Amino acid sequence: MRKKFVFVIMIVLAAIVLSGCTGAVAWPGLGADEQTAYLANGQFVYALNSSDGKERWHYPLQADSKLTFYSPPVVTPEGLVIIGSSGINHSLIAVNPQKFPDILPAPVGGFQRFFCSIGLAICPKPVEVEEWIFTEAKDHWVAGPLALDGKLFAPNADGNLYVLDLNDGRLIKKIALDGESNRPNRLWAQPITDGERIFVTSLDHSVYAIDIETHEIIWHEGLGGAIPGGAVLASDGMLYAGSLSKQLERFDPATGAHEPVLDTKGWIWGTPVSEGDNLYFSDVDGYFYSYNTKNQKLDWEPVKPDSAITASPLAQSDNVLLATESGNVYSVDPDGKVALWYDEPSDGKAYTTPVSSDGHILIAYLEADYFLLALNEDGHQAWTFPSQQ
Amino acid sequence: MKNTTNKTQTQVQQPELPQGLSRESLKTVAVIGILVLAFLRWNDVIAILVNVMILIYSLVGQNFGIALILFTILIRLVTWPLNAQQMKGAAAMQQLQNDKEWLAIQKKYAKDREKLAQEQMRIYREKGINPFGSCLPTLIQFPILFALIPSITYAIGSTPLSILKLSRSVYPFLDVAKLVPLNSKFLWMDLGLPERTLLFGLWSIPVLAVIVGLTTYIQTKLTMPPSTNPNDQAAATGKMMGIYMPIMLFFFSLNYASGLAVYFIISNILSIVQYSLMGKVNWRNLLPGGQKK
Repeated sequence: MRKKFVFVIMIVLAAIVLSGCTGAVAWPGLGADEQTAYLANGQFVYALNSSDGKERWHYPLQADSKLTFYSPPVVTPEGLVIIGSSGINHSLIAVNPQKFPDILPAPVGGFQRFFCSIGLAICPKPVEVEEWIFTEAKDHWVAGPLALDGKLFAPNADGNLYVLDLNDGRLIKKIALDGESNRPNRLWAQPITDGERIFVTSLDHSVYAIDIETHEIIWHEGLGGAIPGGAVLASDGMLYAGSLSKQLERFDPATGAHEPVLDTKGWIWGTPVSEGDNLYFSDVDGYFYSYNTKNQKLDWEPVKPDSAITASPLAQSDNVLLATESGNVYSVDPDGKVALWYDEPSDGKAYTTPVSSDGHILIAYLEADYFLLALNEDGHQAWTFPSQQ
Repeated sequence: MKNTTNKTQTQVQQPELPQGLSRESLKTVAVIGILVLAFLRWNDVIAILVNVMILIYSLVGQNFGIALILFTILIRLVTWPLNAQQMKGAAAMQQLQNDKEWLAIQKKYAKDREKLAQEQMRIYREKGINPFGSCLPTLIQFPILFALIPSITYAIGSTPLSILKLSRSVYPFLDVAKLVPLNSKFLWMDLGLPERTLLFGLWSIPVLAVIVGLTTYIQTKLTMPPSTNPNDQAAATGKMMGIYMPIMLFFFSLNYASGLAVYFIISNILSIVQYSLMGKVNWRNLLPGGQKK
């Protein structure tokens, strides 16, 4: 009888453990302002000093199983940090960094929380650091929102672009971007604007242009594949977007008229980066491209550092930095010469677009000993978070 | 005379095996080999399933629900001989539990486990029974079951990592870029997410997981061979599995993509159909106290 009981317990536990082993579903989200890095990594969003990696605060103060964070945090001109949850709770949260206490309260355990809720224990008063919370979205937040003129344009994986009042999180308009196909219209990339229109890319293979004032869809055009990355406005005034159909496409922002301008070797994932007359972008086969929008040609043959590239390149004054799936960071000079800039010693994978803040290049890792790595301008490690010392 | 001739012909056709190596042990080695190969080439197993699923999806009007149902039927057809062998093995073991000689050695060597094991092996050999005959086909199906979880997740591609992994799994002849992301909406479900149905606008109920638990329970009950021997260990294990399998699959369905739950349900139904066609379904087991009759 006892053996049977142990067997039952083992089976049920194995089922529970196995069924919970869903693993990571996305890579960390990374954002930064001049002095602070914001890392969305699983249960928490961390705000860190870009200079030394010291933690300023994390949200939520206590882990909540309903919240998971992967979308890049966005800092608004008002100083709010907007973070979206990819957990069971699909909330978009405006965190006010000013509301965090200097000394964070000690975490309250599960049992203690239960006893607190029924009045049998005394617990510290919860600290409310949120300015507002928006809970009407139906799916995950993968992309960061666009903050513009007191409004927030927030794309959700449920296929809607939510226009919110930045002051109070009130829904101004829900714009359904459902195209004409029956494909899932997940929105995974941050929108961009030319001052008149908002441009949104979708996994339903479409690019949408939305009037910034009326919030009406002006045009939407289909491509041959899903568009997980965003679009970019180049110096020639045209809109460019790459897709899984292995093509870079050029759009007239006013009309949506478009044509393919370049065939690539693999699926284009990350958002292209515009620098001068050049567009820098990569594909998941690991190739890096430099496309000149003026003469409409590649500056040089695509180069392949090592493995897949999903991150957007980071353009610096004299080179372009690339973070690859292998975790390494490469620099590419204006002549297309590739050099290993940082050799990742652990097995971490770099899928997230690197950012620059306070003189450091920040690289977020998946499956590494640390979540975030800061490199000096010469490619040497400055600090890691959590610290490895 | 005719029978003797046939028997002789059969004996002539079968190749001679090295001494000490039986056909049954060869089967066991083959199954272990397949399992090891599947483990070593895990990504290839996933890739095969993903590509078959996407191929069916592209052929049936881009409806992943229908593609998944057809895929399940295909898997059941492919594993039909294995299941049939499992049923035969289980029936043979069940018959053995009531065999006089078998019962006699259980009594005689109750205190000498080593001798009992030797005698049991002798009877297995004499009667041509593989003691693993009923579980080896099941073991072969485990890699398929475990590979299905990532396969469905990759195929649906509802998260960035799953689409990236999908890009590494698809064969070049499938123009996946045109299909991705797959349309995962089916009936009231998103097959890429765990299913919950809001009841009366108040309670979120995992309807599909409950159906998985129920159909697994019914399937194991219906396909359990009748046993009159109270010391029948195979029947006791079967009874236990009849309780724990539904619980385990319920938990799986609760947390994984609902596509997996659809697979379990269709698979359970097809299993009952297969048992019915082979005349092995025991409907009495569903009635309270039915097994005693």
